Amino acid sequence: MASADKNGKWSLDGKPIKIDKWDTAALKNALDDSAKNVLIKNHGYVEHHGLMDGRLLICTIAVAFAMFALVWDYFKPFPESRPILILCVTSYFVLMGILTVYTTYKERGIFLVALEKDRAGMDPDNIWTLSSSLRKYDDIYHICLTFTDGKTKEERKTEISKSVASFFDENGVLCTDLYEPEIEKMRESLTTDKKGK
Amino acid sequence: MSGMLNFDFLDDVRRMNKRQLYYQFLNFGMIVSSALMIWKGLMVVTGSESPIVVVLSGSMEPAFHRGDLLFLTNYKEEPIRVGEIVVFKIEGRDIPIVHRVLKVHEKEDGSVKFLTKGDNNSVDDRGLYAPGQLWLDKKDVVGRARGFVPYVGIVTILMNDYPKFKYAILICLGIFVLVHRE
Repeated sequence: MASADKNGKWSLDGKPIKIDKWDTAALKNALDDSAKNVLIKNHGYVEHHGLMDGRLLICTIAVAFAMFALVWDYFKPFPESRPILILCVTSYFVLMGILTVYTTYKERGIFLVALEKDRAGMDPDNIWTLSSSLRKYDDIYHICLTFTDGKTKEERKTEISKSVASFFDENGVLCTDLYEPEIEKMRESLTTDKKGK
Repeated sequence: MSGMLNFDFLDDVRRMNKRQLYYQFLNFGMIVSSALMIWKGLMVVTGSESPIVVVLSGSMEPAFHRGDLLFLTNYKEEPIRVGEIVVFKIEGRDIPIVHRVLKVHEKEDGSVKFLTKGDNNSVDDRGLYAPGQLWLDKKDVVGRARGFVPYVGIVTILMNDYPKFKYAILICLGIFVLVHRE
């Protein structure tokens, strides 16, 4: 463990994040989580779960409809349960449609909404959002950081696109010492803009 | 440390927060639900309580072989006619039977009695019916064959023949979905 720490590799339980480097989803998750940590852990911004909760709610209702249909059909076998089944099946597929629309147009790859509390507690919070995308057979990871000023509602944006190979070593261990400074740089570029004005 | 290594594949899960963990279970639930809802949707559309069945015996050869997948419909307004292939349930038997209609009696009040026989069997099905039952009724019908896909159902037959194999596959898939983060 000590050697890992020396390399600056980090994870929740002090263990470096090691993933299967051929697994696109795992790559993206590791990078997303690590970027999230820069803002939440290192800067103490407060995570806002609204977006995720919306998705969880849609999924929960959809699964509830399916389970209800299952139970109802068990107690009132088929021809009798038909009207309820029609209701549940249509609701389920409508909800799946809503979920698709929600993830493509509302979430748009956003995996973190963080609030930066105003120190004096007077102004509204500044909002930071992180979104990312990584195509299945592509090595270029796009990450985008957006800053919305609480007071002026002004929005600023910065993004980088880099090969995932620049953040992972050959064994699939995330090199936080290479990755986190990138995120930090993005964050600073947005804050210094503010001061420049 | 070597003991821990075996659980490395769980690291993804261990890094999750409560919401992600819950979503993981929901994701699993949605895969199951989607399959379930497609099945129930087919039930509603076809009117049959089991719209897809697998032929388990050779009693309908050469029309259907073991492992053929049958697509059924069961519309109440369509009358049952001699020569059609029906799938029906018999009291006291778990597995529905796929056989051809041999004789039909219809009354003016709409009630129907019919007799079936497997193409490959030398006698009609009275020996298969419940003791004392001579005719089948409309309520016994699960559906009528509308289409088939040859041999695809052999997988189902294998799984039914080796239940342990089936559960092993299901458990493996389940664990994979739960552990693997999208």
